[in-house]
Amino acid sequence: MIRFFVFLIFLFLYIPIAYVVASSFMDGGEITGKWFAKLFEDPIVIRSFYNSLSLAVLSTLFSVILGTLAAYAFLRTNLRFESLFYTPIVIPEITEALSLLLFYKLLSFPLGFYSVLLGHIAFNIAFVFVIVKARLSTQLRSVEEASLTLGANEIQTFLRVTIPMAMPGIVAGSLIAFTLSWDNFVKTVFTTGPGFQTLPLLIWSQAARGIVSPSLNALTTLMLLISFILAYLYARISIRRE
Amino acid sequence: MRHFLALPFLVYLLIFFYIPFLIVLLYSFGFPSFTLKYYSEILDHLTLKVFINSLILASITTALCLFLAYPVSYYIALKAGKWKNFLLILVILPFWISFLLRTYAIMTLLTPLGLMFTFPAVVIGMVYDYLPFMILPLYASLERLSRSQIDASYVLGAKPYETFMRVTLPLSKPGIIAGIILVFIPALGEFVVPAMLGGTYATIGTITWDLFLRYHNWWKGSALSVVYMAIVLFAITVYIKRSGRIEL
Repeated sequence: MIRFFVFLIFLFLYIPIAYVVASSFMDGGEITGKWFAKLFEDPIVIRSFYNSLSLAVLSTLFSVILGTLAAYAFLRTNLRFESLFYTPIVIPEITEALSLLLFYKLLSFPLGFYSVLLGHIAFNIAFVFVIVKARLSTQLRSVEEASLTLGANEIQTFLRVTIPMAMPGIVAGSLIAFTLSWDNFVKTVFTTGPGFQTLPLLIWSQAARGIVSPSLNALTTLMLLISFILAYLYARISIRRE
Repeated sequence: MRHFLALPFLVYLLIFFYIPFLIVLLYSFGFPSFTLKYYSEILDHLTLKVFINSLILASITTALCLFLAYPVSYYIALKAGKWKNFLLILVILPFWISFLLRTYAIMTLLTPLGLMFTFPAVVIGMVYDYLPFMILPLYASLERLSRSQIDASYVLGAKPYETFMRVTLPLSKPGIIAGIILVFIPALGEFVVPAMLGGTYATIGTITWDLFLRYHNWWKGSALSVVYMAIVLFAITVYIKRSGRIEL
């Protein structure tokens, strides 16, 4: 009984995804790749893709550096009030998004690529902090102390002992940060300006009007594929960690 | 010395996270002047209706998620055997896909069914998006409960129903509370699902969108989000008091 129920729930979770993917390869009753070919010819799609990618790469880069340093400082000193570091994870995204919008408006900061990027980083650093900290807290301080005793200075120890030991956490944090930026919608839509569009905004601009179309299915399929690749990489790293 | 390594992080959060919140607070009191008028505007009957709409939607979503997720978590934690890891991956995978994409996916099915822009469509979409957020914490707490505790209950003569009601269910209470918080709080402010599937069903999320992005009424929008934030903070505080810490 329970097994059948669980089976139905998983069907419910995966049928819509399977349906989108399947219909992005269908035209009438035939299998086709033309919806994807059309996507790659559409300059708006290419441009949005490029925008999404640069956002994700840059926000990952910055948040990994800031988040890792903070996680290290937090664990190796007597810093307190941890919740101040990870509040952005707990707060509903829409609240964060609108407060950034007001902040930019008040400063007359131009809305576009940079306003979106700065907002993404604010959200991502908290995630990197939590993940890297979890990794660093399981590793032995004694290894760092051994390095210091053997004559390495603090900077050498940090770069050649601490960072390599924290690497699985850093990579995991980067993957999460990349994913969060890559398909972020709410924060992007509140902090973007005219002329700056990402792939999620492109999907939204049609889907919000209730439009379901083969090319939108193809775009969704592409984004799902990238999410799955990121999830797979993340799983590989976490499993090796154990 | 090493304290300073956290400085860029904290300064960044201060500028791009904490200060913006203070600005919202300022605007909610009518910045640059001072008035309580925007809070009283929020209590008008139209906005009150929006709050009630959101409460109804979030409550139904949370209840359905709990009801649907519990058997799934129970099965994965205690009965799945060699399928356990595979099923866990299936639960975690949706966390890597944004709500926008998942809502679009369910939309492609709701459209041919003729359900679009109805209340049931919103509920289906919400449950679809939030279900993994309920399954995972429930699973975590059921997983911690050891099989021997259940076996002990059987050995001592309890029937399956009694064992569930008096052993399994009470021991999984932390997971139930965590799941309810993880679903209810964001569901209350959810914007994407009602906006895409609900047509005219107004919630805190859709009205926030309208106030900020359509009418540029920063003041009333801010007052609304301050009230929403107060509810959120209240729920989180209650949760921390009960469980001792936030589990991420």
